[in-house]
Amino acid sequence: MKPKLVYLQPTPVRIWHWLNALGIVTLCISGAQIRFPEFITICGSYRSAILLHNTAGIVVALSFSIWFFYYKWVSGALTSLYVPKMNELSYPLLRQLLFYCYGYFKGASSPFHATPDSKFNPMQKSAYLAIMFVIVPFVSLSGIALLNIGPIRQILLMVGGLQILVIVHFLLACMLGAFLMTHVYLATLGSTPLAYFKPMWTGWEKVEHHDNTDEQPGLAE
Amino acid sequence: MKVFRNFYKTAVTFCALTACCMYPHTGQADPGFSFGNAASGNQACLDCHADAHKINKKSLISTGAFNHTTHAEFGCKTCHDAVSANHPRDGKVARTTTCTNCHGDISAEYTTSKHSLEVSNCSACHNPHKVLKPNEISALAMTATCMNCHSLNKIKATHAQWLPQTDLHLGAITCVTCHTTAKNYIVSVYIARRNVKSDASSPIIADYSYLSKKAGSRDVQFLVDRNHDNYISIEELKGFNKNKENGDLYLKAILTPTKTSHAFQVSNKSWNCTFCHAGGPTATQVTKLILPKHDGTFTGLDVETGTSITSLNAIPNFYMMGSSRNNLVNKVGALVLAGGIIMPVGHGFIRFLTRRNRRKE
Repeated sequence: MKPKLVYLQPTPVRIWHWLNALGIVTLCISGAQIRFPEFITICGSYRSAILLHNTAGIVVALSFSIWFFYYKWVSGALTSLYVPKMNELSYPLLRQLLFYCYGYFKGASSPFHATPDSKFNPMQKSAYLAIMFVIVPFVSLSGIALLNIGPIRQILLMVGGLQILVIVHFLLACMLGAFLMTHVYLATLGSTPLAYFKPMWTGWEKVEHHDNTDEQPGLAE
Repeated sequence: MKVFRNFYKTAVTFCALTACCMYPHTGQADPGFSFGNAASGNQACLDCHADAHKINKKSLISTGAFNHTTHAEFGCKTCHDAVSANHPRDGKVARTTTCTNCHGDISAEYTTSKHSLEVSNCSACHNPHKVLKPNEISALAMTATCMNCHSLNKIKATHAQWLPQTDLHLGAITCVTCHTTAKNYIVSVYIARRNVKSDASSPIIADYSYLSKKAGSRDVQFLVDRNHDNYISIEELKGFNKNKENGDLYLKAILTPTKTSHAFQVSNKSWNCTFCHAGGPTATQVTKLILPKHDGTFTGLDVETGTSITSLNAIPNFYMMGSSRNNLVNKVGALVLAGGIIMPVGHGFIRFLTRRNRRKE
């Protein structure tokens, strides 16, 4: 096996990723101040925190919409890239889980090798399915609803009121925050701690070249 | 000089109006005025001043409203002791006492505000023959007094320049919540009527006649106070929302000052939102259910305190970001975040211990 450079992350994807990252971190910090203002004052006044949160929220919601639009209707790769196939949810998923829980500690190499057509391992796909198709859309929608309470207040009263909406938004945001920590940590599990960060900055990833042509796309021996 | 000019102008106007209404309006021979004996109280004055056939509109007094005021307990003569036996033929101003004589502290407080430069007479906002105690009027009535001069549209436009969710804020607070130097606030819960035509800034509080129809033979209080103990529990608030018999009614909470101040001002404390929203949960713990009475006034009932006030469905449309957060939800959120930390910390620890296994030859 010899290392090979693969152009894995095109420029628009990288811009989208880091814009999203900045937006979500801003949302987490300003959101924490909005909920616990007597303890957290990192954004200055409460009004600054609200304005920052609203702005970052709109940016992330737009960014998500662009992402969805691009992968669904422009590249058409949304399903193949982000939705795990049934056969991936059995052995490949277990194999990846075993790697993270056991093989990694023994010094084994990852059973998955990213290609431009198959960037995520089955575990990543499963996580992104929950994050990008459930949590981010719902946290964005609940945030947009919170920005437009006036027009929808009668509907809100019927489903339990503003408090319900705030609770849904807060808990979804906590899930996103929890994912964020795991996401950043898992990104350090490459051959070096920054091995997976570099491709998201430069676009190029160094992958081990396999001569075996029988292997499934994205899956190593 | 401006203050003096305003005061002088107001005083002259008041004198002129009062003098005009002192003349008889019926054309009958007047036997002359007497306050009457102590037992008759204010009746000698109200014989004319409560009778629309004998007096003009500006001097007409509603007996019911006046008798409810504290002023009525002191009697007409306390303020109008200059009334002569020739009243009203003498055309003299019947008032010798000013509001300041009794309300000096409020007057002093009011003169510190910018508002006093524009409006120097108390009667511009308060009718002494109708005035009620602060806890007897609704939050909307407080704001309605301001609306006599300040238009809602203009208020919305100026606040929208800096205040997010302007309509929501205006519907959940009174003008004096921000524009005075009040230090403490209570959450006043009203029974309001759903109306898709009204916007969030103008809730419609159900009046006594509407609620009494809903209550049937019961007192309106028992629409919420189901166990008749003159105390509102969180369960009773939730029960009100769930009760389908209440139809178009819902609980509307408005943040009002505990003690109304007359030091009206453009409140610097409100600009950055921190004053209200960083108060923490304690800012929303004192709550009262405000109910209309048959005489047009309002009365308050104590509501259970504690963090449960923010529980689901208690007051579904009231939420003050940062203050009315739910502790149980905070704990669930913390557990979710802890779940996100456990994996990196646990995996990272084993990763550190096994780092030699991954060293490249």
